[in-house]
Amino acid sequence: MRSHLLRRLPSAALVLLLASFLVFAVLRLVPGDPATTLAGPDASEATVAAIRDRLGLDEPLPVQYAAWIGALVTGDLGPSYVIGGEVADLIGDGLGATVELTLGALLFALLLGGVLGILGATARRGWTRAAVRAVTAGALAVPPFVTGVLLVLLFSVTLGVLPPGGRVPLLTAPDLGVQYLLLPALCLALPSAAVLGRYLQEGLRQALAEDYVLTATAAGIAPRRLLWRHALPNALPPVVTLVGIQTGHLLGGAVLVEAIFAWPGLGQLAEQALNRRDYPVVQDLLLLLVAVFVVVQLLTDLAYAWLDPRIRWE
Amino acid sequence: MTASHPSPFSAVTRRATLRAAGAGTALLGLGLAGCRSAVSSEGDPVPAGDAKPRRGGTLRIAIGNDFTPALLFAQSAQSLQQGLLFNTLTRYDDRLRPQPELAVSWTYPKDGRSITLKLREGVAFHDGRPFTADDVIFAVQNLQNPVRAAQLRATASAVTGFEKHGDHELTLRLTHPVANLFDLFEFMIITDRHTVADAVAGRKLNGTGPFRFVKWSPGTGLDLVRNDRYWRAGRPYLDAVELRVAGQADALVSSLRTGQSQLSFDVPGKSMALVKSTPSLKITDYSTGAGAYYVGVNTTVKPLDDKAVRQAIAWAVDRDRLLAQSLGGYGLASAAPWPRSSPAFTEARRTHYRHDPAKARELLRSAGHRSLKLPLLHSATPGDTSIAEAVQYDLAQVGIDVTLEPTDPATAQKKLISQSMPALWTLSHGFAQVHPSTLAVSAYPFNEAKNTSRFRSGTYTRIVKEAWTTPDDGPAGRARYARITEILLDEAFIIDLVVRGQVQVASERLRGVSLNKFSQARLDDAYLV
Repeated sequence: MRSHLLRRLPSAALVLLLASFLVFAVLRLVPGDPATTLAGPDASEATVAAIRDRLGLDEPLPVQYAAWIGALVTGDLGPSYVIGGEVADLIGDGLGATVELTLGALLFALLLGGVLGILGATARRGWTRAAVRAVTAGALAVPPFVTGVLLVLLFSVTLGVLPPGGRVPLLTAPDLGVQYLLLPALCLALPSAAVLGRYLQEGLRQALAEDYVLTATAAGIAPRRLLWRHALPNALPPVVTLVGIQTGHLLGGAVLVEAIFAWPGLGQLAEQALNRRDYPVVQDLLLLLVAVFVVVQLLTDLAYAWLDPRIRWE
Repeated sequence: MTASHPSPFSAVTRRATLRAAGAGTALLGLGLAGCRSAVSSEGDPVPAGDAKPRRGGTLRIAIGNDFTPALLFAQSAQSLQQGLLFNTLTRYDDRLRPQPELAVSWTYPKDGRSITLKLREGVAFHDGRPFTADDVIFAVQNLQNPVRAAQLRATASAVTGFEKHGDHELTLRLTHPVANLFDLFEFMIITDRHTVADAVAGRKLNGTGPFRFVKWSPGTGLDLVRNDRYWRAGRPYLDAVELRVAGQADALVSSLRTGQSQLSFDVPGKSMALVKSTPSLKITDYSTGAGAYYVGVNTTVKPLDDKAVRQAIAWAVDRDRLLAQSLGGYGLASAAPWPRSSPAFTEARRTHYRHDPAKARELLRSAGHRSLKLPLLHSATPGDTSIAEAVQYDLAQVGIDVTLEPTDPATAQKKLISQSMPALWTLSHGFAQVHPSTLAVSAYPFNEAKNTSRFRSGTYTRIVKEAWTTPDDGPAGRARYARITEILLDEAFIIDLVVRGQVQVASERLRGVSLNKFSQARLDDAYLV
């Protein structure tokens, strides 16, 4: 396992280095900078120049890049230019909120996807399978901004049982936090649940058609035991790979869902920082997201290798 | 891919599925039933008429943009909290007459080269330190610093001398008379000079206002509590104020409709129909005129260097339709930048350009053009896009084919300041709601020395400077404002469309809210019933 991991580390480091170049360069190529944002639409050029000077934006680009990487290496991310506060605090708070939302959504996706997959593969009645197909297609087809509005309309405006937006951290007040989390997590989870459900359904169908299943059935092994102990473990490896990919999608999808539910996560922070050209926040945030994707892919590789011994010896 | 086949399994029976679903629902229901509810309860019926002010309660305000500490000393999209945490020296009434706040009286000699302020005694900052004349000196010097990006820096910079007469009297010496000095006093918040670095970082906001700073959570909002040593006895009524960010219009309106928040000034015009259909919400239009939408014209791009073509555009725009469709009817369709409360406002100037496509076509023909093709840059926000599309439609009716250039706000701002706008653009400007000279001195699009339109005129420069340096709102002063407006209307380098209304959406349980001219909310007298 260790050598398997070591073989993948250099490529992960290279991806991060290239991403840092790209993020830094692209941000400077986009018109507008933090100084003009801070100066406002009624400002004069003298005001903009004073702010540029204070922020060090007059320095040559290589110097600015080196300062950024140097700060990253020492762990001191410094202050935000426009939003305010320390970049580390901003990203830390946003990350906490996004991870909470993503994990909540992942939990929903696994539960719903599991139910849909197992029902779709094992239901005997045609209408059950048709219902599963309809739910799956609906969850895939309806975009989160529509699902989100419908959920708010039903649970917040009409029934008045759940808040329409905002966040109370789960660790601060779990009873309130879970109520704020339910709608955005469900909204974010639905498309992933549908994808996971379809993969699981297909995997289970293949596993259930294998000869050993027929043999076991003939030997009188209980269908429930056959499903949970034999067919499901064989159907899971591709689904586990997909969970890794879907986690990335959930993180990406959180940007939109956070806006709909006023959830103060990384998506909201990224949007705000990008619109205001808050260079340090955008740079650190994008690099962090690349790092998360790289780590998730590494973990997925490891999980795959753990589940399938042939991968370890390749 | 395997073929679908009837499953021989009965591992997941209908009974098992129903049991699992029932158990899950019951578990969730029981779990939530045992919790505190995150949904606010409306409680007793709302009393009819003016209920007596009541102490206590937490007011939640939904804001479209988060507090930006770096813009604490500038007029920005989110200046609400300034009036909650801080005080200003004076405050305008509805007719632009300054009223006492931290300055209780003032003496303004005829030569206009100084002003003596008598300051309120017994005022303390939130940390207990007494407010003195040194805090006013710091406040002025702070705005003179360009990194504070204060739009009234030019006016603050005219103050070059400070003479203290004890702790509560002060004379400000000016290099030249300044007509908009009280705009500065309305705009300039009095902050603690010892913690200003913490203030612009959002760590500590120490003022003399009715509410104390508790914390700012970026992306979530601000938490404030009652200032028990506030200088107005018995105020404020509210125990706490929470400003909560809801950047998306749908989220903001849902927050109001469900009672999660009780006040907002950020509901976009297109969402007002939904608000109107909610009986528990009340709409108030303050008509402060704190902003106005306009079409900017680059006068160096041919054929817009011809005044007749610019005037044709001004005649072609249907301001009333734009107001109704894009802003929900809240605002004032106007060819001039001034709101009704401005001393420069007249009905004739407001309607100087009415919607007259025939006249626009005639002007274009007289300038030798039957059709034109022009780009129009606009900020790619839903509100600004709607306005740009309305302008595009109107100009198409007179033969001007407009290509829209949606741009993100930061890029639009950069182009505005660096004079690199295309032929046309549409954005909004501020500063017409206060002294008329402030518009030409502090709003870059109107600046006489350098503006985005690259418009220069000796007459305009002279009259703007005269209006700024002559503190006179009498007939002579009004004649100068009239002259400025005539030049703006005749030269049409900035074509004003609509003076924006400051629309408040509030729960019917909330009373006593007011705003100053710079959209700083005043909740001294606010209470919940």
